[in-house]
Amino acid sequence: MSHAPPRPAARSRLQERSALRRSLRIGLIFGAVAVYITVVGLLPSLDARWIVVGVVSLGDAALIAIGLGAGAAIAGRRWSPDFWPLALPSFFAGSVAGGLLALLALAMRVFDLRPIFITLSPALLKVLTFGLGAPVGAVVLILGGALLATLGGALTLAPTGIRTPVLVGLASIVVFGVFQELIQIMMQYGKFIGALRDAIFTWEGLSPQGAAAIFVLACGGALVWTRVLRGPVRDRFAGLTAVQQNRARAARIAVFVLLLVLFPVVAGSYIGQVMLLVGLYILMGMGLNLEVGLAGLLDLGFVAFFAVGAYATALLTADSPHALASYTALPSLSYWAAMPIAVIASVIVGVLFGIPVLGVRGDYLAVATMGLGEIVRVIVQSDMAAPLLGGAQGILQIPKPRIGGFELADPVDLFYLTLAASAVAAYFAWRLENSRLGRAWMAVRDDEDVAQALGINLVKVKLLAYGLGAAFAGLAGSIFAVMLTSIYPSSFQLLISINVLALIIVGGMGSLPGVMVGAVALVGLPELLREFGEFRFLFYGAALIIMMRIKPEGLWPSATRRRELRAAAGGGAPDDPEEAAAFAAEPLSAAQRPAQ
Amino acid sequence: MSEVGARRTWFPKLPSLSRFTFVDVVLWGLRIGVVIVVVGGTVGTLIKGRYGAAQWFDFLVFGLTIGSVYALVALGYTMVYGVLRLINFAHGDIMMTGAFAGYFLASHFAQTGLLDHSPVLAMLGILTVAVATSTIIALLTERLAYRPFRQVRGLAPLICAIGVSFFLEQTFRGSFGSGIRAYPDPRWQKETIAIFGFGVPLVEVLVVIAALISMAILYLIVQRTRMGMAMRAVSEDADAAALMGIDVNKVVVFTFGLGGAMAGIAGVCYAFVFKQVYFFMGFTPGIKAFGAAVLGGIGSVPGAVLGGLFLGIVESIGPALFLDGIGIPAPYQLRDLIAFTLLIMVLIFRPYGIMGERMAKKRA
Amino acid sequence: MEHSNCLPISTYVALAAVALAAVPTASAAETKGPVTDDIGVIVISKGAPIQLGAYWVMSGADSALGIDEKRGVEIAIKDHGDTLAGHPIKLNVEDDLCNAEGGQTAATKLAANPNTTIVLGPACSSAATAGAPILWKAGITDIATATTAPALTAADRKPGYDGYMRTVYSDIDQGRSDAKYVHDVLKAQKIVTIHDGSAYAQQLATVMGDNFKKLGGTVLSQEAVAPTDVDMHPVLTRIATEKPDVIYAPIFVAAGAQLLRQAKDIPGLEKVPLIGSSGQMAPDLVEAAREAVVGYRITYPDVSPDAMGAGYPKFVDAYKAAYGEAPISGYHANAYDAAELAFKAIEKVVKTDASGASYIGRKALRDAVLTIKFEGVSGPIGCDQYGQCAQFKPAVYEFTNGDPKTFKIGENPKKVWP
Repeated sequence: MSHAPPRPAARSRLQERSALRRSLRIGLIFGAVAVYITVVGLLPSLDARWIVVGVVSLGDAALIAIGLGAGAAIAGRRWSPDFWPLALPSFFAGSVAGGLLALLALAMRVFDLRPIFITLSPALLKVLTFGLGAPVGAVVLILGGALLATLGGALTLAPTGIRTPVLVGLASIVVFGVFQELIQIMMQYGKFIGALRDAIFTWEGLSPQGAAAIFVLACGGALVWTRVLRGPVRDRFAGLTAVQQNRARAARIAVFVLLLVLFPVVAGSYIGQVMLLVGLYILMGMGLNLEVGLAGLLDLGFVAFFAVGAYATALLTADSPHALASYTALPSLSYWAAMPIAVIASVIVGVLFGIPVLGVRGDYLAVATMGLGEIVRVIVQSDMAAPLLGGAQGILQIPKPRIGGFELADPVDLFYLTLAASAVAAYFAWRLENSRLGRAWMAVRDDEDVAQALGINLVKVKLLAYGLGAAFAGLAGSIFAVMLTSIYPSSFQLLISINVLALIIVGGMGSLPGVMVGAVALVGLPELLREFGEFRFLFYGAALIIMMRIKPEGLWPSATRRRELRAAAGGGAPDDPEEAAAFAAEPLSAAQRPAQ
Repeated sequence: MSEVGARRTWFPKLPSLSRFTFVDVVLWGLRIGVVIVVVGGTVGTLIKGRYGAAQWFDFLVFGLTIGSVYALVALGYTMVYGVLRLINFAHGDIMMTGAFAGYFLASHFAQTGLLDHSPVLAMLGILTVAVATSTIIALLTERLAYRPFRQVRGLAPLICAIGVSFFLEQTFRGSFGSGIRAYPDPRWQKETIAIFGFGVPLVEVLVVIAALISMAILYLIVQRTRMGMAMRAVSEDADAAALMGIDVNKVVVFTFGLGGAMAGIAGVCYAFVFKQVYFFMGFTPGIKAFGAAVLGGIGSVPGAVLGGLFLGIVESIGPALFLDGIGIPAPYQLRDLIAFTLLIMVLIFRPYGIMGERMAKKRA
Repeated sequence: MEHSNCLPISTYVALAAVALAAVPTASAAETKGPVTDDIGVIVISKGAPIQLGAYWVMSGADSALGIDEKRGVEIAIKDHGDTLAGHPIKLNVEDDLCNAEGGQTAATKLAANPNTTIVLGPACSSAATAGAPILWKAGITDIATATTAPALTAADRKPGYDGYMRTVYSDIDQGRSDAKYVHDVLKAQKIVTIHDGSAYAQQLATVMGDNFKKLGGTVLSQEAVAPTDVDMHPVLTRIATEKPDVIYAPIFVAAGAQLLRQAKDIPGLEKVPLIGSSGQMAPDLVEAAREAVVGYRITYPDVSPDAMGAGYPKFVDAYKAAYGEAPISGYHANAYDAAELAFKAIEKVVKTDASGASYIGRKALRDAVLTIKFEGVSGPIGCDQYGQCAQFKPAVYEFTNGDPKTFKIGENPKKVWP
C-alpha cells in the first residue's frame, strides 16, 4: 500500500480556517485585556504618568504593549519560521484587538455609561481616541492595533541578535521613565553625576533626548554583550574545573550581596525604607516557609505572631502609659533586651495556637488558623483589652534601638539590623531544613499517617513548626515596632498573612532565594510604584492566578520542589531539553540539596 | 507500679493520668473556658434581666435573617467543596457581584416606581439579573482559574482562589467606584407581620423563606435528579464516577453554576435587608458562611442551612447573652470573635459538623 | 560542608558596621549663599520649581478625604498664580494609605528629596504620628490639614514633632464643644457613645464622654462596633434597654448609615436623636442612608460664610469650576489655608541672590510659620507654640434631603446651631 501524498489544497484550507480562528481568539483575548484595563480605571491612572515627557505616557505604553503582545502571541506559536505567512494573522489579530477598544470608544460616544461605570468619562474618551473623537479614533485604534501586532510578530521572529538589544533598550527607557523620581534622587551627589542627570531628565521626567540617549546606550550595551562578550565568557567558564566554577559562582553571589548591602547607602533613605520593608517580609516569609513549605501546615493566622512580637516589644520598651514599666515594677527595657523576650513570647503563642489545631488538616487548617489570627486582631483592637494593649489608640513612643550612644534612627540603619537578623534567621532556617527535624517536617507534609507510623511524634514536630515559624514572625514584629515607633491594631490584618503566603508561593515554596524573590516582587515593587496603589491588589490577584497557572512551583523554586511538582503533574524529567541538561549539570547548592 | 494501682482504686472512673498529655490539658482547658464563658455569661445576663421577651425575640429574628444569608452562601460553598474539594474563597465575592448587578436594576425600578407598583415583577427582574450575573461570573472563574487544578492537590488551588477573590473585588472597585451604593427602600418591605405577637418586617421574613425554598429546591435537585446523582457520585469518588461514564467536567460546571445562583440570591437578600452594597461587602460574609458550612457539615445541603441559621443566631444573641453577662465593655465589637471561636471549636472538636461526614480529619 | 552560599556571619557584621559609619548624620549649621541656618538651607536654582511635598490618603476607602484636600491645595496654588518668589511651584503628592506604615514610607520618600521645601498633610493622625518626626529630622516643616489627634500638638509632645503644625482643630476642642451641645442645647442627661474601633472615633467618643461627665451628665455606656458591621440591631437593642437621651456616634459613613437606618426599627429609639461628627460630612452618607438621613445632625466646624473667612464661597465656586463637583469631603478649606500659610512663610524667609537662585533656611521657615497670622478661608489662622494653628468653631448641621445629588454643605446639611 502506497501512501498517497497529502493533498496540499485541503490541508492549507484547514490550516487557514484554524489559523483564522486562532488569530481571532488571540485578538479577542488581547482586546478584552485592553477593554478591561480601561473600564477598571487602570488606563487613566497609567496615562497620568509620563515615560518620556510629552511623547509617551505609561498608558500609551500599555496599549502599545498589548498590540505588540497580540502579534507576539501569534508569532510565538511558530506556525511557520518565516515572517510573511504570519503577517496576515498578526494583522488580523491586532485589528480585532483594536476593534474591541474601538467598540468601547464608540459605545462611550453614544451612551453615557458614567452612572454605571464611573471611569468612562469624556476625558477618558479623549485619551482613548488620541483627541480625535470617536469615529476617527476608532479607525485609528483598529489600524494602530493591526500595525503594532504585525510589528510585534516581526520582532518575535527577528533573530536574537536584533531582538534582545531592542527589547533591552525599550525596557531601559521604561525603567528610567517610570522610576525617574527615585533615580533623580539617587543621582544627586557630585557635579558630574548632577550634570548627567540634568542632561537626561527634566523636572517632570525623562526628556526625549534623554530617552534617545538611554536607548542608544542600552541597545549598544546589549549588542556588545550578545555579539562580542558573551561567547568568550561562556567558553571560559566552561573551561574551568568544577571547584573553580563553584568558586566563581560563589564570588558572583558575594559581589551581588555586597552591592545589595551597600545599595541603600548610595540610594538614600527611601530605598532603605523599601528594602527594610522587603527585609521584614523576607523574615516573615522564612518563618512561614518553615510552617507551610517544610511542614505543610497552611497557616493563615501568621499575622498574630507578628502582632505578638510587636506588642511585646512595645509593652516592654515604650515610653507610654501603656507600657508595662508604667504600672508594674518592671523596668523599661532596652530594645536589645526586649527583642529576645518578644521572640520567646511569639514562640509561646505559636505553640498555644498550634495545640488546638493539631488534628485539623488541609484547607480546614487554613480557615482555622485564619480564625485564630482574626481573634487576635479583634482582641488587640477591642475595648476589653484596651487597658492593657491600648485599644484603638495603639501604643506610641516606642524608642529606637541604641548601640552605645548611636541611635538607629534612619531606615538604612534599621535595614542593616534587619539584614543581620535575616542572615541569622536564614542560617537557622537552612540548618533546620537539613536537620532531622526538617526531614521529619517534610515527612509530615507528605503524609501524616505514614510519618506517625514511622515513629515521628506528630505533636512535637507540629508544635515545633508553629513555634519556630512564630519566632521569625516575632522578630520581624519587634523590628516593625521600632521602625514605626508606634503600633496601631489596624496594622495587623489578615492581609499581611495572605501577603506572606503569596510571596512564598510566588517566589517558590521551600526555597530561601525564592522567598527573597517573592518579597521583592510582591512587596518591593508595589512600594516603589506607590502611585498605582489603588491597583495594588488587582495586580496581586492577577499575579497569583497567573503564577499558579503558569509556574506553580514559583519563580525560584528549590530543586526538590520542581521535581516534585513535575512528578505530580505527570511528567518525569522536565520537557525542555535545554533545561534538563542544565538541571543535570548544575551542582545543587547546599540550600537546595534534597534532604536525604 | 503499686502507686498507679493505688490511684486506680481510689478513682476507679478516671483514665490513667499518665495518658494525659500536655495537649489534652490545653484542649480541656479550652473546652472548660468556653463553657465557663457561655454558662457564666448566660446566667449573668438572665440575672441582670436587661432584656425582655420582645428583645430576645428580636435578636432571634435578626439572627435568622443574617443566618439565612449565610445559609444561602454556605450552600454554594458546600456543594463546590463536595465536588471539587476546593474552598472557593471567592464565593463571598460572587455574592457581591450579584448584589451589584441587582443594584442597578433595583435603583432604576425604584426611580420609575415599578418597585412599588408591581413588587413581584420587579423583584423577579432584580433576582434574574443578579442570579445571571453571579452564575456567569462563577462559571467564568471555574473555566479560567480552577479548571487546571482539577487534579492538583496542595496549595495552588487555594492561592488561586485567593487571587480570584482579590481580582473580583478590585475589578468591581475599579469599575464601579469604592463608594457605597444603597438599595432602594420600598414601603412594602417595611410592613410588619405579626408572629407570636411580635412584629417582624416583611423583608426579613421573605429572606428566611427564600433560604428555605432554595434549600428545598437544591435538596430536590441533589437527591432526585440525574445530575444530582452525578454530583453525589463525583463528590464521593471522582475517578470512579468518571469510570462509570459520568462527564465530570459537566458536573463541575453545573455545580459551580448552581452555587453561583445561590450566591446571587443571597446577594439580593443581603442587599435588601442591609441596603449597602460596596466592593468589599462579600469578604466577611464569605468567611462566616464557610464557617457555617463547616458547622453544618461540609457536603450536606441541610447541614449548610442549619449551620448558617445557627451561626446567625449565635452571632446575634451571643454578645448579649454571653459577653454582656460577664461584664465585658463594648461586647458588640467582639461579635466576630464569637463567630470565629465557634468555627474553631467546631473544627477541633466536631469536624464533621452537625450533619456531615468526617472530612476535616481525613486526608483533605 | 565545603562551599556554602552564605558568607560567614562576620562578614555581614563587618559590612554593617562599615555602612553604619558611612550613613550621614544630621548636619550642623549650614551656610549657603546669603542664608545661614541652624538646620539646613534649601537652594533653588534659577528657573527651577519650588517643590512642595504632600502626603494624604489617596487610595482606598477614605480616598475622598485626601483627594479633596489635594484639590484645595491645587486651587491655592492656582490662586497664587502658580509661582512663588519667582519660581514655579511643583507639588509632589504621596499616598499614605491612612496608616502608620504608609505615613512613614511617604514621609521618608519626601524627606529623601533634598528639594522638598515644606510638606502639607497628612489627613490621618496615625500617618502623622509616624511621618512628622521623619520629616522634621530632615529639617522639613509639616503643616497638617486634617489630623485632629490631641497628642500631636499637646504641651508634652516629643521634640520630634517640633516641626509639625496643623491648620485644623484638635479633637479636644471638638469633644468639648460636642459635649456642651449635647448637654446644654439638647438637654440630655444620659448618653451612650458608640465608636467603631478607629483611633479617631474612639478618641473623640472618649473626650466627649469625659467632658459630658464634667458637665454633670452620665455616660451610660461606651459601645463599639466594627467599621464593616452591617447588623446594628443587637447593639441598638441593647442601647434601647438603657434608655439614653442621646446617642453620640462619631463614626464613619458605612457604619453610621447602618445605624441611621436601623435605629428607626428599634422600639424605644424612635425619639432618641443620633448625633454624628465630622467623619460623616460627605455625600456618601446621603447615598448610603437615603431617606433615613433626613433630620440627622452632625457636629462640624462652622463653615458658614458668616463664620468663615470671606473667601470661602469664592473658594467653593473655584473648586466646582475646576473639578466639576462640589467638595467631596470636609477639610478642603483647611488644606487651602495650609498652602496659604506655607506660601506666606516661604515668602517671608526666602532670599534671592543676584543670579536668580533662591535660598530658604529650614529653621527660619519653621519659625516663620509659627509667627504668621492671617484670615484663612476656614477661619483665622495663627499658631501657638505647639503647632495648633486653628481653633474649633463649633456648629451643628442637619441633613434635609435624602437625595445624594442635593448634597451641599450649608444647604443639605444646613446649619442649625449656633
